[in-house]
Amino acid sequence: MRHTRRLSPAERLFLPAIARGLAITLRAIFRPRFTRQYPEEPIPVTPVTRGQPRLVQFEDGSPACVSCGLCEYACPAYAITIDGGETDRFIEREPKRFEIDMLRCILCGFCEEACPKDAIFMSQELEMAAATREDHILGLDRLLRPRAEFAERMEYVRGIHERWKDPSALQRRAHERWTEQARRKEQEEAAGSAGGQT
Amino acid sequence: MDVPPLRTAVTILVGFGAMMSLAAGMTLVERRLSAFIQERYGPNRVGPFGLLQPLADLIKFVFKEELLPAGANPVLFKLAPALAAIPAMLTFAAIPFGFYDGRPIVVADMEIGVLYILAIGSLGVYGIILGGWASNNKYSLLGGLRASAQMVSYELSLVLSLVAVLAVTGDMNLSRIVLAQDSLWNVFTQPLACLVFLVTMFAETNRHPFDFAECEPELVGGFHTEYSGMRFALFFLGEYIAMVVMAALMAVLFFGGCDVPFLAIADTPWWAGALAMLAKTGFFLVLYVWVRWTLPRFRYDQLMWLGWRVLLPLSLLNLAVTGAWLALSGPAGPGGAH
Repeated sequence: MRHTRRLSPAERLFLPAIARGLAITLRAIFRPRFTRQYPEEPIPVTPVTRGQPRLVQFEDGSPACVSCGLCEYACPAYAITIDGGETDRFIEREPKRFEIDMLRCILCGFCEEACPKDAIFMSQELEMAAATREDHILGLDRLLRPRAEFAERMEYVRGIHERWKDPSALQRRAHERWTEQARRKEQEEAAGSAGGQT
Repeated sequence: MDVPPLRTAVTILVGFGAMMSLAAGMTLVERRLSAFIQERYGPNRVGPFGLLQPLADLIKFVFKEELLPAGANPVLFKLAPALAAIPAMLTFAAIPFGFYDGRPIVVADMEIGVLYILAIGSLGVYGIILGGWASNNKYSLLGGLRASAQMVSYELSLVLSLVAVLAVTGDMNLSRIVLAQDSLWNVFTQPLACLVFLVTMFAETNRHPFDFAECEPELVGGFHTEYSGMRFALFFLGEYIAMVVMAALMAVLFFGGCDVPFLAIADTPWWAGALAMLAKTGFFLVLYVWVRWTLPRFRYDQLMWLGWRVLLPLSLLNLAVTGAWLALSGPAGPGGAH
């Protein structure tokens, strides 16, 4: 079966069709370009942008972080290293060393979710070029940003998950999980001792 | 022709410089225009508007490693790029770019200009065939074979279309062909020949939609698959110079060369003539790119069909009609059709 259509003699000349095609490509030349001229035209950022993680700094210059280590624990790429220490301030603890290895960081945002103190957030900073590997390991000096910079992001993050809107629900669920675990452990122990007897 | 050697040297240098700048400029125009048609910007970072991009390309080509594939014929492999580029460069010598003080602005004002360009220009295919064969690669070989088959089938129509033009003008000297078109361009007396030449000029330079010698989806890179660095650049250069020459030939043979419309060549200032010639050449160079992004590539059998069963009869018919018309329109002695 033929799937092609016989062309008429006029169509077989192809020249009018070629001229039409040329007109189309000519019009394309004057259409606006899709390309973003990157360094001059930066990528648009919104509170949703999940850029590089940054630490919150209070107005007195101290970090909001209490070096609890939850972000370190949550980090799937082992990018975060924290050495905690005592401080005379009211919060009693602060990080002596807080390093994020941006070569390991996968920008997943788990640290942000894990943080109980609103101390680490995904910023809107996207550019991470550096000349050496060492330059990619960011210390406290390069991570801290004034708290005001994160205002929009904080509001957005609190809206992501329902459970964060109701802290008591969070506690309730944690309690349920804990009792469930304890129950399972008891059952296992009971089964284990029963198995040992026979 | 008593020309002092120094003058010859300067002429060659200027001609070579003009040719190289045209070819280099063409690489930039091709890349920018391709980008524009695809709604991109193209290379615009090196220098203002990317004008220094060809220079950057050259530096890159020079510093790239030149690989010699195992099993390749080393002599022919190294010779082929030169064989492809040199004929293209040589043909440029016969292109007249205008008239200064009644003398043509040309490297070599030859009596057999058209013949010379056709003869030398068709040598360029040897470089492609040898490059394809010497690479010891099936894709390269197929590319080379296709190039030769294409050359044979299209050169015939190309030459036959030109014969009709030569019959009308009665001269093979390119600058005198330009002068003969002072009042009426050949495109108006020989529209069919112009059309055939337009189509074959794409095939002759292995350009889209007839670029079977380097057809990427079928043949990887075609004849230059195994080439890298400056050797690849020479193939590249040869192709672009051939494009410049064919575009210039189109302008000279059919569009009055340096003739500004409605102005006698003798009254035109030399710079205006040269500018007109450059503009005409430039238009056909742009057309190469324009067509490249408009038409799909032909199938190989369609290419052969178009060459042998459409263009060849068409150019033969044109030649016959032109000959009959010249014979009937009055006594035209040799070299005196007008």
